[in-house]
Amino acid sequence: MTALVRLRLAGFLRTGRALAPVLAGLLALGVLYGGGRARPAEAYGVSAVVLFPVLAWQTKILLDVEPDVQRRLARVVVGPVRERAAGLLAAAVAGLGTVAVALVFPWLVGGVTGETGPGDRSVAAGVALGLWAHLLALPAAVALGALASRAITRSAGYGVAVLSVGAVGALVLGLSDSVLPWLAPPVMPTARALTGDLTASAALLLSAWALVWVVVALAGYAWGRRTRA
Amino acid sequence: MRLEDVWLRYHRRGPWVLRGAEVRFGPGEVAVVLGRNGVGKSTLLQLAAGVLRPTRGRVVDRPAAVGWVPERFPADQPFTVGGYLTGMGRLAGLSGPAVDRAVRHWVDRLGLARFHGVRLPELSKGTAQKVGLAQAMLRPPGLLVLDEPWEGLDAAARELVPELIGEVLAGGGAALVSDHRGETVRLPGASRWTVADGTVTAQAPTESAGIAVVELAVPAAGVADAVARLRAAGHHVLRVRDHVAPPPATRPAEAGPPPVARPDPGPPAVAGTDPDAAPVAGAAIPASPAPAGLDAGVPARPGPPAEAAR
Repeated sequence: MTALVRLRLAGFLRTGRALAPVLAGLLALGVLYGGGRARPAEAYGVSAVVLFPVLAWQTKILLDVEPDVQRRLARVVVGPVRERAAGLLAAAVAGLGTVAVALVFPWLVGGVTGETGPGDRSVAAGVALGLWAHLLALPAAVALGALASRAITRSAGYGVAVLSVGAVGALVLGLSDSVLPWLAPPVMPTARALTGDLTASAALLLSAWALVWVVVALAGYAWGRRTRA
Repeated sequence: MRLEDVWLRYHRRGPWVLRGAEVRFGPGEVAVVLGRNGVGKSTLLQLAAGVLRPTRGRVVDRPAAVGWVPERFPADQPFTVGGYLTGMGRLAGLSGPAVDRAVRHWVDRLGLARFHGVRLPELSKGTAQKVGLAQAMLRPPGLLVLDEPWEGLDAAARELVPELIGEVLAGGGAALVSDHRGETVRLPGASRWTVADGTVTAQAPTESAGIAVVELAVPAAGVADAVARLRAAGHHVLRVRDHVAPPPATRPAEAGPPPVARPDPGPPAVAGTDPDAAPVAGAAIPASPAPAGLDAGVPARPGPPAEAAR
């Protein structure tokens, strides 16, 4: 399976198709950090929100860059379960790269401040919470991108529709007075939680929420791929 | 392996492509899938290979190592021939040195050495098809599934396909081949699966059902005599044409299915020194394993002995 992950990452990086989401991600981060200095945890919470659609789009591109027949060849060689898992894993690895850039970026452009006043979180704690926020958003974004991939949607139009409805839905359903917040992954609630004091139980709840959402979305992907080679 | 009551349709409300297909075949067997365009030959092959999952029914006892050669190789990938085959070898579970050995072996065997560093999108259709063949053979397959393998291949490579199948069978594997151009006369002993109206009819191999076409070169002056003698020997002469260019020599020692003309001690009808001046007669002979020698006194010239026809 590692071989297939490597083959797919190589295919993604060599085609130049990886460039579009990377540029979009950098643009979004540039806009986000252009306004002034923020404390790390708050800034990273918002960064995870703006990166959610970018990571989902990146996943869709990574899965779609491989021709359908090549995906079927891989399925014949390694079996259907590993073929699906390798695609998700490759997308997660690529996503981790983007997350790493997002964590380093604000320090390079002076978008965050290292100064801490009395009662503030330490910088290390802020970075750790930022990493946590991104790691909650990444699997959900990978699952959304997988559901929007050509293997599932079969047409470019449906693929874009699934991707945009998912991305916009995560923002709209995540607003503080949303009636159905559970339908979306908790990227917005996480960002809100990071602006104030975050209790351990709230962190645990958000993590469990993200986990359940990802499991349900990936189950949908696996079910859809059963009949879609 | 067996296909048990296999039904398949591509969409929930789509038409059934296969309805209750029921076939079985075992190690050392080869089957040819025949049928009109769009009748479901590729679908059947993909079910056997494990690309598609039956909507109803099941496929049981599929060998672990399956080599699938798709009808069109997916050449739109950013890899070189060598890089792609190495990647596919690793996918098949081969480790470092074993991958290199297997890739080198198949690249040489299929005449891909010149293209080792060429990127896949730059390959011609036939060369890409050879890469498709190579990736299926990297790990010795227990089941080799070939979808129109002769499409786009040159004469030398066409002869190679039955050879590869023979090796898979000798290794205890099985092979499944689809064909709509009658090339499968190169596979004597194959059972025939005919796909029509969603059902598959299997037919055991028959000894003398096939017909092969032998092309002979004879001096222009002796055409009438040669044709008369071939007819007298019971062969069906299809046509006589001018000899344009000598075909590329493939594998003269081919012990292929159709017996070729045997040299005759009688007066030679072909001098063999000036083949370009010779018209060519195509004669149809039964493709049965029993020697059906031509008594026309035409020595066999090295060259593709049989242009296939059914």
